[in-house]
Amino acid sequence: MTTPNMQKMQQLVEQELLASYGSLYRLAFTYVKNEADAMDIVQETAYKAIQNSASVKNEAFIKTWLWRIAINTSLESLRGRQREISCEIPEEYGKEDVYLDFDTIDALDVLNEKERAVVVLRYFEDRKLQEIAAVLEENLSTVKSILYRSLKKLRTKLTEGELCHEP
Amino acid sequence: MNRDLSEIKQDYQNIKVPDTLRPRVADAIAKAKADMANTAGTPNLTGNAASHTSSTPLPSHNGNDPANVPKKETCAKAGLHSKAAAGKDCRKTELPFHSPFGKAAGAAAAAALALIILANLSPSISYAMEQVPVIGAIVKVVTFREYGRQDNQMEANLKIPEVQISGDENGENESLKDAAQELNDTIKAYTDEMIAAYEADVKAAGGEGTQAVDLDYEVVTDNDRLFSLRFCQTVTMAGAAQMEKIYHIDKQAGKMVTLEDLFQEGADYKTPISENIKQQMKEQMAQDESKSYYIGSDVPEWDFKELPDNANFYVNKSGKLVVVFDEYQVAPGYMGVVTFEIPTETVADIVKDGYLK
Repeated sequence: MTTPNMQKMQQLVEQELLASYGSLYRLAFTYVKNEADAMDIVQETAYKAIQNSASVKNEAFIKTWLWRIAINTSLESLRGRQREISCEIPEEYGKEDVYLDFDTIDALDVLNEKERAVVVLRYFEDRKLQEIAAVLEENLSTVKSILYRSLKKLRTKLTEGELCHEP
Repeated sequence: MNRDLSEIKQDYQNIKVPDTLRPRVADAIAKAKADMANTAGTPNLTGNAASHTSSTPLPSHNGNDPANVPKKETCAKAGLHSKAAAGKDCRKTELPFHSPFGKAAGAAAAAALALIILANLSPSISYAMEQVPVIGAIVKVVTFREYGRQDNQMEANLKIPEVQISGDENGENESLKDAAQELNDTIKAYTDEMIAAYEADVKAAGGEGTQAVDLDYEVVTDNDRLFSLRFCQTVTMAGAAQMEKIYHIDKQAGKMVTLEDLFQEGADYKTPISENIKQQMKEQMAQDESKSYYIGSDVPEWDFKELPDNANFYVNKSGKLVVVFDEYQVAPGYMGVVTFEIPTETVADIVKDGYLK
């Protein structure tokens, strides 16, 4: 079943996972905002990536491909969470999720899913626009305009905080 | 703003990666491998993540690509050229992000409009464009008119050519003249559509738009047999998109031709050419990391599969067929317009005589 090529790809994916799980974790964290969920997401990303490593044809794409899985897994997690809240009342609380106090990261909440990914990858992970375009399956000019719009939104959000202090 | 961004960045970098994450990643990798070895088993991660009540349920796997990709758009959607784009085969899907124009509709058109039509007042340009073929009738191209407009931040500069047949006093080339007329009509329809699209965008933008449309042309082929005129349209908004359209006249047969007409009737020219292009894509990507085409990617549905019906092409000086793809058609946008020269032996047994060498 497994060809040497597939095995090699799996190995490369594994290496990349072990090298960049920290970044994947931070990215996931900006979406779910808590440690436990972010860890689950990274773990799940690793699992999916290994299982599907045969579908990566070009090793140059591994990194962007992992980002994409992480983003989609984060979004699935957020949606799952919304569904859970709406349809069932949790009977017991296990360990409480720890929400760290990062005011500035919360500012990212003004951005939608795609915009957030662009800002995080571009400014915090220093990825090239081209790479980001590949992660999001958009063309370069679209990514540029998303970035531009995001900065505008963030600027509005941040200055708003300066002008009128919330009670 | 930059200060604020760097604050966010700092906080981002301060997000502590838990020490327990690495072993969990390693676990997941090991588990994935084990599950694959057992095959058929549905993936189940909860064992590893059980310590937490909030652990996310693993969604069932559907399809090969877990990245669960949104629909791709190969044809850059930028107001004007989505309408004017030559490649009708562009796989177009709605993007959630639109050009600002749609929203600005309803406002009055821009104040200062200047419409200039130059009926080819510049002889120097038109003579420069003249092409003298080796034998047979002379096909000339002159800039018939120029469409230039400036509306606040929007502008259009289109050079619109006309093809003329000369050196034919005896009327031997009636059919060639017909073909030239047909080409001129086609050019007019093509550019009229472009102008209409631009004017609609100006109106919709209500003077707020930023856009530049340029159209230029050149004669790419003019040999004994073929006369080909290439149009290059550039639409610049936030980024630029380039589209090309090439029209051909068969000077001997005196008619406009498309790629299909170069080959014997009913011959399958698409398969050999497509296969050759795929091979070239793979070779280029293997040799040069900066190159990238939609082939063998992790999203098989946008991979280049086959030549479209109305593929753009021209015949270069050495008589080889060159296939031209618009930006985004077969490669990410940064690759621009891409071309592939097809070795003539690939299609040697199906090509009609005289077109290729």
